[in-house]
Amino acid sequence: MLSDASLDLAPGSVAEITGPNGTGKSTLLRLLAGLLRPVRGRIEERPAVIGYAPERFPSAQPFTVAAYLRHMAAVRRVAVPEELTARLGMDHLLGQKLPDLSKGSAHKVGLAQALAGEPGLLILDEPFAGLDATARAELSVIVAEVAARGGIVVASDHQGDLRSVPGVTRYEVRDGKIAEAVPIVVDDPLTTLTIKLPQSKADALAARLRAEGHEVS
Amino acid sequence: MIPLVTFRLSGYVRSHRIFQPVLGLLAVLSIIYATGVPAGGELPSYSDSAGILMLVFAWAARGLLDNEPDEQRLIAITAVGRRRELVAGLLAALLLTGALALVAVVFPLFVGFAETPGGADLGYGAGLHLLAVLAGTALGALTSRPVLASPAASAAVLVGGYMAILLLSSAGPWASVPVLDWMNAAHHHELPDRLGVIVASALAWSAAGLAGYAAVRRVRG
Repeated sequence: MLSDASLDLAPGSVAEITGPNGTGKSTLLRLLAGLLRPVRGRIEERPAVIGYAPERFPSAQPFTVAAYLRHMAAVRRVAVPEELTARLGMDHLLGQKLPDLSKGSAHKVGLAQALAGEPGLLILDEPFAGLDATARAELSVIVAEVAARGGIVVASDHQGDLRSVPGVTRYEVRDGKIAEAVPIVVDDPLTTLTIKLPQSKADALAARLRAEGHEVS
Repeated sequence: MIPLVTFRLSGYVRSHRIFQPVLGLLAVLSIIYATGVPAGGELPSYSDSAGILMLVFAWAARGLLDNEPDEQRLIAITAVGRRRELVAGLLAALLLTGALALVAVVFPLFVGFAETPGGADLGYGAGLHLLAVLAGTALGALTSRPVLASPAASAAVLVGGYMAILLLSSAGPWASVPVLDWMNAAHHHELPDRLGVIVASALAWSAAGLAGYAAVRRVRG
């Protein structure tokens, strides 16, 4: 599916993988995660701690959200990601059984287990699909934080939410090749916008705007 | 690795799929021990139990290995690495089948045997069940979803594979896992004399089966 493909990801980089359906984006992600072996070629210097969130979280498992996250934290030998569950707005889901979750809620569980333990390589397959606006904004902030401490983030993203993360590099998978997409440079003067909104929603909006690369004071 | 073994076993038990092999185990034990075993018949009964229960052990191992969704297996591989994930799955399957075998060895001491067998017969009986655990787990692993994706094909190969083992084992101790050989030996009071070749053959076939499973998993994930 992929041939003559090359990708160099430095610590702290965020790579957005785009491309039409069926061109090999998920295959590329699984190669990077070590789930597939390349027939030819090699993947070198893969970080030891890998977080992987599949496109569809396998919710057909007989656990509550809390029990699942507890088991996975033990498997990874890390602490249960309590802060992450709060930031992703899923604390109210902890007592629910995995098969009872909606698609978006199940997706949050997949993200929480992948983000636990400060992964050096974070592989996210369509991480924003099905998430509510607040969780999307928060996930962008979390991705930026992972990159800021030297982690590598690679994500396929049809929604384009990842582009709000500072320093993200877009790669397009097409015809079995990986090409760096030309960044869109907009020569646009800065302006100040005053927004009035309920106080309870201020923090979420501020987080979302920061995640989109705007300056918020 | 232990937390992953615990996770696999916990998921299997919570899914209630453990009832399938437990019911099979109880059915086999009921048939073998329903009429009671007179003094001196303990070891032949143990050998029959081990030979028949190998199919139940294989079914249990396959059920445990297939219990988690494929995507969860991928998550586990990224969490602990490919080799540890594979070993953890097999270890969980061996613990499950080992627990079933323990029930099979202890059960007749209370409801089947007219007299408690001596230490030697008890040891031989436990040893034969251990061989059945190893061979059954290997057969179950070779018919699990990463190897055979189709549930129908998997079930057919599992049952057909067990029958093939029985048929081939009549040709000699090295032709397959020597199930009929250990039954014959136990019934004719020859087990101590033939134990070496029986153990060696069963271990070799089990190791070959597990190695084959590992080889397929290396390619298919």
